[in-house]
Amino acid sequence: MDIAGRAVQPFKRRAYGRTFVCPVCHLELAFADVDGNGLAVCPVCGAVISLEAPYGHAVPVVVDMEIHRAQPKLRLHPMASHLPVGLFPVACLGAGVLLVASLLAPAAWPTALIERATLLVLALAVFLSPLTIAAGVSDWRRRYGGRPYRIIRLKLAFSACFVVLGGLAVALHASGAVFSPATGLIAAASPLGVLAAVAYFATLAVNLVVVGTLGHVGGNLVFGR
Amino acid sequence: MIDFSFSPAQQELREQAKAFTEEWVAPNAARHDRTGEFPKEICREAFRRGFMNTSVPKEYGGRGLAVLDHCLVTEEICTGCSGIGTAIDGNGLSQAPVILAGTHEQKTRFLAPMTEELMFSAYAVTEPEAGSDVARVKTTATKVGSDYVLNGVKWWITNGSVASWYFVLARVEDRQTGFVVPADSAGIVRGPKEVNLGQHASNTVRVTFEDVKVPEAFRLGAEGDGFKIAMETFNHTRPGIAAGANGITKAALNIALSYAKRRRTFDKKLISNQGISFKLAEMMTKLDAARFLAYKAAWLIDSGVDNAREASEAKWFASDVAMEAAIACAQILGGYGYTNEMPAEKLIRDAKIYQIYEGASEIQKMIVVAKLMRTKVVE
Repeated sequence: MDIAGRAVQPFKRRAYGRTFVCPVCHLELAFADVDGNGLAVCPVCGAVISLEAPYGHAVPVVVDMEIHRAQPKLRLHPMASHLPVGLFPVACLGAGVLLVASLLAPAAWPTALIERATLLVLALAVFLSPLTIAAGVSDWRRRYGGRPYRIIRLKLAFSACFVVLGGLAVALHASGAVFSPATGLIAAASPLGVLAAVAYFATLAVNLVVVGTLGHVGGNLVFGR
Repeated sequence: MIDFSFSPAQQELREQAKAFTEEWVAPNAARHDRTGEFPKEICREAFRRGFMNTSVPKEYGGRGLAVLDHCLVTEEICTGCSGIGTAIDGNGLSQAPVILAGTHEQKTRFLAPMTEELMFSAYAVTEPEAGSDVARVKTTATKVGSDYVLNGVKWWITNGSVASWYFVLARVEDRQTGFVVPADSAGIVRGPKEVNLGQHASNTVRVTFEDVKVPEAFRLGAEGDGFKIAMETFNHTRPGIAAGANGITKAALNIALSYAKRRRTFDKKLISNQGISFKLAEMMTKLDAARFLAYKAAWLIDSGVDNAREASEAKWFASDVAMEAAIACAQILGGYGYTNEMPAEKLIRDAKIYQIYEGASEIQKMIVVAKLMRTKVVE
């Protein structure tokens, strides 16, 4: 198992509980996804799976296929989800450039412009994400019948986390406590500025992991494993 | 008088082992099969629950379980994963020579610590050109003063990488002699993990001995007793091997049964087809037969009666039944039996080794024939 896989395993176990694999598309599903009739419907391929675990061995049996599934009317979620997933890393890149500029202080860099652009991209990424979440919830209800899959719960939890942390980053940035509005560089002169900068970059780093996970989980939900 | 029932204590032991299997072994079987990672955490839990070192006598801190009780535990654990089962049970094979032929000091030094913390030991007898034919081992032990100096290569040593000590069979001149060799002795080189067909959780490596000094106090029995000790060990451990194979059969039967009762073909359940249901009936019947052979072999040795023939019968029969059952299970699952996302194909890979290790099936039949040759009439 790769290093990332090992690191993620304990969190995954906690979020999913025991899992089994869809025998058709290989998506990892949770035992908790099985309903009271002992059935689970794979959100990716539509396999209707009967699950038993004799002696602890997961034995999923495909008893039907949901072929005619309701399709999303506007397909808004796939498009909308790429806004935060795509824009947030760009905002992080901008913040990274400002950090380097603050450390090296190269006079020729248009740091004030980069600072404004970074804030704009960051705000777009964060404030558009509720639209993405709403479109996702709508798709989940229509396409997956609102079944409480662990993978959907995980997405919702991470989405909420993204909005909260992203909102915090925007607030810190817009307050002017991190970057000087005049120069666009980190306000290193005041201890409060340094503290705000540390909090800001830590928030961005954590949220980068969150948005990466959201993209990964979303990809799994569309394409399987 | 014959009684086929388990005592309340044995029933409780089975249920405890089953609970451990369902919670720890089966859910992790596929992961360890894919990664080949040694299941140390599962062994730690097995140790905590008293499923390791079961044969170590009570006076050295162990549970002192009878061979039959050990069979019950092994069958349950191997129903979850025989690779993990082998990792857990590997100590038993190497401990048996010490239990059978060790002095009080040797038992105190090598067995007692294993009941206090999680430790492993390994049975290092097989060599590249001496597998089933144990008499061919070439590793030498040369007497130098009060020590022996060991030189040789041991091959396919289960738990070889993680062992704290080895039981080693070596030649002192022409006399095969058993030694207990601490793994931290200078001159021991452990090879990489072998990539085997099945039982990927089990750790199998080459162990090389280069001028390894072993004190005389670590010799088991007298010079020349080694072959007898090694063979006597198998009389104690082969019922357990048969039980492990029975675990695979039980897993195959349960998986196939669960599948056949739910899968529908031609508008009826799969199990309603005679071609499928007869396979299940054959698996169940052969599992019963294999179990009774294993239990009888274990009961004989627990009663102090020679069980060489019965242990061999149990081992080869249970191995063949496990192999057949695993293949039948895959057949019942159809295409799903051939994919590694389902547990059936792993059972086929895991079952094969039972026909090979601790004496191939052909060796077991030779032992049975050897006993028959000394028998005038089979009663």
